[in-house]
Amino acid sequence: MKDTEIAVIGGGPAGLMAALAAAEMGARVTIIDRNSRLGGQLVKQTHKFFGSEKEYASVRGIDIGRLLSDEVLKNPRIETMLDSTVIGYYPDDGVLGVEFEGKTFVKIKPKKVVVATGASEKFLPFENNDLPGIYGAGAVQTLMNEHGVVPGENVLMVGAGNIGLIVSYQLMQAKVNVKAIIDAAPCIGGYWVHASKVARLGVPIMTSYTIKAAYPNEATGTLERAVIWQLDDRWQPIPGTEKVLKVDVICISVGLSPLTEILWQAGCEMKYVPQLGGHVAVRNENMETTVPGIYVAGDVAGVEEASSAMIEGRLAGLNAAKSLGYDDGTYSEKRLEAIKRLQNLRSGPVGEKIRQGLAQLVSSGGDYNA
Amino acid sequence: MLKTCGIPTEEELASRIPPKDRRKKGPVVMIECFQKIPCNPCFTACKRGAIQKFEDINDLPSIDFDKCNGCGLCISKCPGLAIFVIDETYSEDEATVSLPFEFLPLPREGEEVDLLDRSGKKVGRGRVLKVRNGKYEDRTPVITVTVPKGLSMVVRNIRVGGDLR
Amino acid sequence: MTKSKTIICRCEDVTLEEIEAVIKKGYTSMEEIKRITRCGMGQCQGRTCRSLLLAELAKATNTPPSEIKVTTYRPPVKNVKMSVILGGMEDEENS
Repeated sequence: MKDTEIAVIGGGPAGLMAALAAAEMGARVTIIDRNSRLGGQLVKQTHKFFGSEKEYASVRGIDIGRLLSDEVLKNPRIETMLDSTVIGYYPDDGVLGVEFEGKTFVKIKPKKVVVATGASEKFLPFENNDLPGIYGAGAVQTLMNEHGVVPGENVLMVGAGNIGLIVSYQLMQAKVNVKAIIDAAPCIGGYWVHASKVARLGVPIMTSYTIKAAYPNEATGTLERAVIWQLDDRWQPIPGTEKVLKVDVICISVGLSPLTEILWQAGCEMKYVPQLGGHVAVRNENMETTVPGIYVAGDVAGVEEASSAMIEGRLAGLNAAKSLGYDDGTYSEKRLEAIKRLQNLRSGPVGEKIRQGLAQLVSSGGDYNA
Repeated sequence: MLKTCGIPTEEELASRIPPKDRRKKGPVVMIECFQKIPCNPCFTACKRGAIQKFEDINDLPSIDFDKCNGCGLCISKCPGLAIFVIDETYSEDEATVSLPFEFLPLPREGEEVDLLDRSGKKVGRGRVLKVRNGKYEDRTPVITVTVPKGLSMVVRNIRVGGDLR
Repeated sequence: MTKSKTIICRCEDVTLEEIEAVIKKGYTSMEEIKRITRCGMGQCQGRTCRSLLLAELAKATNTPPSEIKVTTYRPPVKNVKMSVILGGMEDEENS
């Protein structure tokens, strides 16, 4: 049995910031991540980030990932367990079961836990949706940006949210032709600047369109064409509007689901909030769930942008450390600053969905576990 | 229309176009930022105070065109790649457009390239005057290209080496 | 849509046709459908199909998704080799 003060599950933007914040307050932290390097999805983000200087605006995600993991690795209070997956939480004795480096089973008994596990990609039901050549957009990003492999030659992107738009841009940078980006919604869901970036490459964006079916090449059995059709204002497909696209790749980018297994096992109160991607943990303003000592941050707390994930992580880390008695007198100020920055990021029109989601989830007035 | 296809209409563009008088005086910025998103690096990048301080980080950038000298230091700092510098005084029949370009191969200075509009359609040919690709640009090279005078508000992308699609 | 070729659970090859058939038979909880069809019991442990099944059930039973009870989340959250677990026990005995 291994002891630590704070276990941070997941070394992406939220987890890294949580670890750094907790260590800054004086706590000993263990980060557990299933990948062989820290940074989570930041590693695949080749675009410059939005936000303000404090959220590393104008710095590419991959560089933010490097910056944060360098800081974590040289911090003597933070220990890192890579290639290691938390496979269960046992609430009776507060133990995390970890598959350590894929070889041994290690139990960790932390005093506090920050769950920063992120999210997984949603999928769509349509005819032949299991053909080779049909990917999640995140999978394509991994393939291209981590392994240097292009997925094919001609792509249909399904989903015009930020991920769909960004991955389309990256595909075009890699000389893969994006034939069209479609979205079932009547409006582009991602930032319009991302949409304009791909539009001026000649990629058509078609709203109120969805995928109907995919068909294979008879000889190879792999994807050869996609059929899309238009939706009416009640989101019902309009027969006769079918269009056939010759593509060898379909990229599905229709949103993310929070990876909440550990939270369910811990007995956290969960709630289905579609604006946040599905089931998420009820929590307070300090990112603490209904189970005392278990905090959430980043996409697992509600699918949002990496910039807010980083601040949520910082907030969770500060509060986890504070609850262990670490406070050099700067806690209140730092906590308020983080809350203020989150509010700023979410205060505009593009933050409306998140605000609606959080309104169903977050108990105001702070600490009901106190 | 921006929200359905990513291409702004004339009306949507109108509010972002620098005043005609100012355009007659030399290079000037045009920020094609139409949506309130939490982002302000253009303000931080501007050393002349032409891009005004944001009251709220979600605000659209507001520009004092008389303070802008068209230096273009904001172009590579915009995460949305939405900033362009237009010089309508370049010559009798040509203007220049400076734009962000994150594609390989990069054009060489002096090379002729296709000029594309906001929908990626070819609208003419132009000559690359300058390629800024230093540490400051941080892998968002800024290309300055000549365009026929009437196309200064139309050209927003280039294509090097012909149509690969 | 050819429902027999529309996959809901990729790991266990469960189609939309099969899901609709069991719902028609009266199995309207995720837990029941999981046990009968193995939807969600494969390699990815439901991470891909869970939200699809939830949506299908919500539609078929005319229930808001928020009111549909999801299946129990048990450790381990991913597949683990027996040797990993056994090795862990060995370590503990030695310490």
